[in-house]
Amino acid sequence: MASGGAKGKEEQDGMSVHSPCKAPPSSASSVPREQAQIELELRLLEALEIYPPAKLQGIHRHFVLYGLMEFLRRSFGRQFTTDEVLQLLDRFYNLEMLKPDEEDMELLNHEEDFCLPQNFFAKEES
Amino acid sequence: MGNSSKDNSTTDSDTSSGDTPPSNSSLYSDGEKVLAYHGPRIYEAKVQKAELRKKEWRYFVHYLGWNKNWDEWVGVDRLMKHNEENVMKQQALDKKQGVDKNTKSGRSTQTKPKSSTDAKGDKEDLKNNVSKGKKRKNDAAVEKGNVSTEKLVKIQIPSTLRKQLIDDWDFVTQQDKVVKLPRLPTVDEILTKYLEYRSKKDGMVADSVGEILKGIRCYFDKALAVMLLYKKERKQYNETIVDNVSPSTIYGAEHLLRLFVKLPELLAYVNIEEETLTRLQQILLDFLKFLQKNQSTFFLTAYDGTKSTEGKGKGKDD
Repeated sequence: MASGGAKGKEEQDGMSVHSPCKAPPSSASSVPREQAQIELELRLLEALEIYPPAKLQGIHRHFVLYGLMEFLRRSFGRQFTTDEVLQLLDRFYNLEMLKPDEEDMELLNHEEDFCLPQNFFAKEES
Repeated sequence: MGNSSKDNSTTDSDTSSGDTPPSNSSLYSDGEKVLAYHGPRIYEAKVQKAELRKKEWRYFVHYLGWNKNWDEWVGVDRLMKHNEENVMKQQALDKKQGVDKNTKSGRSTQTKPKSSTDAKGDKEDLKNNVSKGKKRKNDAAVEKGNVSTEKLVKIQIPSTLRKQLIDDWDFVTQQDKVVKLPRLPTVDEILTKYLEYRSKKDGMVADSVGEILKGIRCYFDKALAVMLLYKKERKQYNETIVDNVSPSTIYGAEHLLRLFVKLPELLAYVNIEEETLTRLQQILLDFLKFLQKNQSTFFLTAYDGTKSTEGKGKGKDD
């Protein structure tokens, strides 16, 4: 499904923040398909409140994506492929333009030596 | 109507905040640089627009240095004049966050489309700023993604692998030995083998499992130097990981296992629904069992005694 046209006007910084996109003009096809697409998009937007797109650029991105995939799987009762989810996201966000999450910098700047927690050394009960 | 008759002013009575001036003049003006509360911290911001809504002034602010998608409508209680006194407040909160090792909690969940919850959120922000600058709510849907210890996912490491970690500790910190690099199989290869193993077992593997494995690889590459090395291994690391080489193509099971010790902490930075977290936990556990099954081929039983740094000096690496 073509996604280029729909998000044009909101694209200044790669973010289309408030309004869901209109269906692309090419899908003059069946109404049920449009409805299904809208349902998908609405669910995705719901999911994004928990799994924010901003985190899709950082080191946690695969787990955020996993969260999105699971959310959709539970909503629709079927598995989603990574590509499907990314395509859905692409209708709203220009992912490459998202600024990486600042939290990552805090994590990655805190270098420390590995330390095996004490409870590993505790004697096992027989 | 029903107000105390002392006041002869023609404006409506104040809101509870003593600072709020009569409602027909705005406290902040367009383009004014201000300080704004967001989550437990204070940020420099600029007022883009000011509007009077239902007798309250609302300001559309842009946080300086942050992407436009963080711009939002806030009330007077979230803003402060940009003066020395308030800047000091900002610095105090920053320091506090540093000491508490708190992440920028207010920045993790982004979308704030609803104006009705906004007002509630603002007041809660204020309360938390006053008390401890840290939020501990577990409401997955809207709440900021804190590093909250209550939500640490439990990853139970099988006992033979726990023993492996103790041996690992002993080799490196007590015997001054290091793992010989490059390893075979590498982290990358182990993850691929796991995927193959799952495919054979289940016939078809969902993309979601693949994402988890990619996530592990990503964590490994980024976190190895930051939190997975003993001090005595740093020299070897610096000598080996050069020119953008991915650690996951050099290191093996020994260091991958250490990642699993740290995984709960890492995952705490991500807000994940409880149900999803449970599933994730199961998959991670399955992966550990896979490691255990292949322990004799994946893990070294002897380390290399020649290349460690700080050769002298035993003593428990704490």
